[in-house]
Amino acid sequence: MIMDFIGELLKLTVLAGLTVAGILVILIWKKNLATRVTYLRFLIQVAAMVSVFYLFTYPVWQFIVLIVILLLPLVLGRFFCGWLCPFGLYMDAITLIRKGFKVRYRNLPDKLNKFLHKFRYVLLLFFLVVPFILNVIDPPPAESLTLMALVLAGPFDAWRILLGPVIPLIVPWKGPLEISKIYFSYPYVQEVIYYSKLLSIEVFTTIMAWVFVALTIVGSFFLRRVWCRFCPTGSSIAIVNRFRGFKWAPLLHIYKDEVKCTKCGICKRVCPVQVTDVYEQAGGKITTSMCMLCMRCVEMCPYEDCLKVNFGGKTVFKSRNWLEPAKVE
Amino acid sequence: MKNPSEEKKYMLDISQKEIEELRTTIRATSKKMTAEYIERMRKADKNRPEAMRYFDEIADFEKREKELLAAKESGKKVIGYMCLFAPIELILAADAIPVRVNSGWYDASKLGDRVVPVEVCPMVRSTIGAKMIGLSPYLELSDALISGLTCDGMTKLSEILSDYKPVWAMAVPRLKDSTQSLSFWREEMKTLMKQIEALTGNKITRSKLKSAIELTQRATKAFRRLQEIRKGNPVIMGRDAMLVNQAYMWDDIKRWTEKTEALCEALEERARQKSWACSPDTPRVMVTGTPMIWPDNWKVPSIIEEANPQGLLVADELCSSERLLYDPVGVDEWTMDDMLNAIAERYLMASTCPCFTSEDGNKDRVNWILNKVKEWKVNGVIYYVVRGCMLYAMEYMRVKKVLDRMSVPVYYLDTEYTREDVGPLKTRVEAFLEMLTARVDI
Repeated sequence: MIMDFIGELLKLTVLAGLTVAGILVILIWKKNLATRVTYLRFLIQVAAMVSVFYLFTYPVWQFIVLIVILLLPLVLGRFFCGWLCPFGLYMDAITLIRKGFKVRYRNLPDKLNKFLHKFRYVLLLFFLVVPFILNVIDPPPAESLTLMALVLAGPFDAWRILLGPVIPLIVPWKGPLEISKIYFSYPYVQEVIYYSKLLSIEVFTTIMAWVFVALTIVGSFFLRRVWCRFCPTGSSIAIVNRFRGFKWAPLLHIYKDEVKCTKCGICKRVCPVQVTDVYEQAGGKITTSMCMLCMRCVEMCPYEDCLKVNFGGKTVFKSRNWLEPAKVE
Repeated sequence: MKNPSEEKKYMLDISQKEIEELRTTIRATSKKMTAEYIERMRKADKNRPEAMRYFDEIADFEKREKELLAAKESGKKVIGYMCLFAPIELILAADAIPVRVNSGWYDASKLGDRVVPVEVCPMVRSTIGAKMIGLSPYLELSDALISGLTCDGMTKLSEILSDYKPVWAMAVPRLKDSTQSLSFWREEMKTLMKQIEALTGNKITRSKLKSAIELTQRATKAFRRLQEIRKGNPVIMGRDAMLVNQAYMWDDIKRWTEKTEALCEALEERARQKSWACSPDTPRVMVTGTPMIWPDNWKVPSIIEEANPQGLLVADELCSSERLLYDPVGVDEWTMDDMLNAIAERYLMASTCPCFTSEDGNKDRVNWILNKVKEWKVNGVIYYVVRGCMLYAMEYMRVKKVLDRMSVPVYYLDTEYTREDVGPLKTRVEAFLEMLTARVDI
């Protein structure tokens, strides 16, 4: 009882902290004092991960989190991927470790990268359709469908894959790995186990899970943000930005000033998911569903006002001359 | 000259006596001329900041020549470069001294006529002439030359100079947007790095390259600060600023950065006191086109700022002035690989040299000019081309069309490496400035 109360309190504290952090961020941006967006992003990512952990202590919250993740892009585009996603944080942390080792990163060939970008819609379709096929084969008790939807159980269980990247490392439920009563998990590991069981190769489930973990860790050691290139959640978010009619929809987007750009190529090089559109597009609103708005390009662009992040017509962040010249009146 | 007995494939052999004579006369004339230019620059601006004195002094090549000689005594290598495509960071990281060796001597271009036809770009001819008689101290002192194969003149110049020194040619891809160009250019960069390491005997390590990049980034910072100041009311004459920019080509980069920062301090103080270098209503002019190189080729900026009505140079798009340092090396991760990539991209992608082309022409250059025109509030553009500079001459129409749409007047000023046309040039520039003044008044 007391523990529950403390848990609830902690949850609220974290959420309040997040709100305060958000307000602070906006204030800092307004004054344009933010020197390093990357650090700021790390802070927000960590805060997001912690709050997700607390939210997940109650199964109903999973459904709400999912709805928020899916509705957020209507206003913010793929802001979630760059700034809130816990899996993104793990990959960024691995990148930091790689930087510590002074190891270079690799790039995928642009064509392969663009193919993966299209391929993730196939993945998404597969994961959303499979549960319904299973549902037809083995229909669940109908009376509790609403409740099941709320807790993502029964036929809706498979939809949990969209929550895959949000899974924290330590989970509040009975996770795949248990060490002294603390359950550990990893993004998508539960899904890997679930699907490998379906394929009736139960013996290999643990091995498959570990292979997946190893692959993503090694992959993100050499490629920055490797999973983001074929993440089903990312693509479900990206769908909103993908259709022509919806390009106006995200209030948050990157804007490029054609005349100020010298095409120096920095934006292309620093992009963790190798988006080339910021570099290639002549100017105006950058509309690509590959971009996850991490704003690394805006931060690294050395030409003042060349790249801007607009939120609802207002510039919240823009590229500065990071060599910082003096102000003239 | 390493081995005088070796047969020269390209250059003429001229007698030692003639060489001596020519060198002393040309040096004397040039010394007189530069002294006069500087004197006129001092007079043009009554309250010229004291910090400019350093640049007046370094403008005298003899001062820097002594320093370079001393550095060479202590075992340092001097590496000359001819186009902006030479990665200065790599030279600095190998503890060598970069100097730009393009020549601005008018008289030397007449000597170059003996080797190449008069139709060739005078800057190339002048560099050949300077080498023939050992005129340029930087060209003489450099142990190797880096030549970007940009225009035809530069390509053949590197062949001709290979009579005297090892020349490391870097093939510049003419299309810069394609991935294969960039990967090719990266390979060129790596090859050059090995050559530099072999010559100097110093390995380019990660930490050395990092500090070299930071050094040039600081220089860029100072440089941008100076250009930023020129956006406002005139506190510095364009010629002075141009001399500061040019000094970067041969000065010690660390010292140059310090002195430029000091100059900027003085200029900002001046802006606060509202003591303008000339009337704030002076038409603001931008120069674009063929590089103008100190010491001799200084007539156009002088003419613009000494004409009646006067013009003020606020910006330029010259690879001998503002294009030198405008773009920083943007490093994402400080690994050797990423630093090399960053350097390669900074020199290839950010360059607005007219040797590049694409379906959409040299759009980066047009955008650069438009940006300068907007941000620096330019009233008119002078398109400066020396005879024989095909690439700049052929891009004129495109630049003019874009600027016409913005109703910014452009004037095509073609000239030669000669002092004889100063009179007619002045008349032409004055007519243009007259028109600009009328527009400013309206």
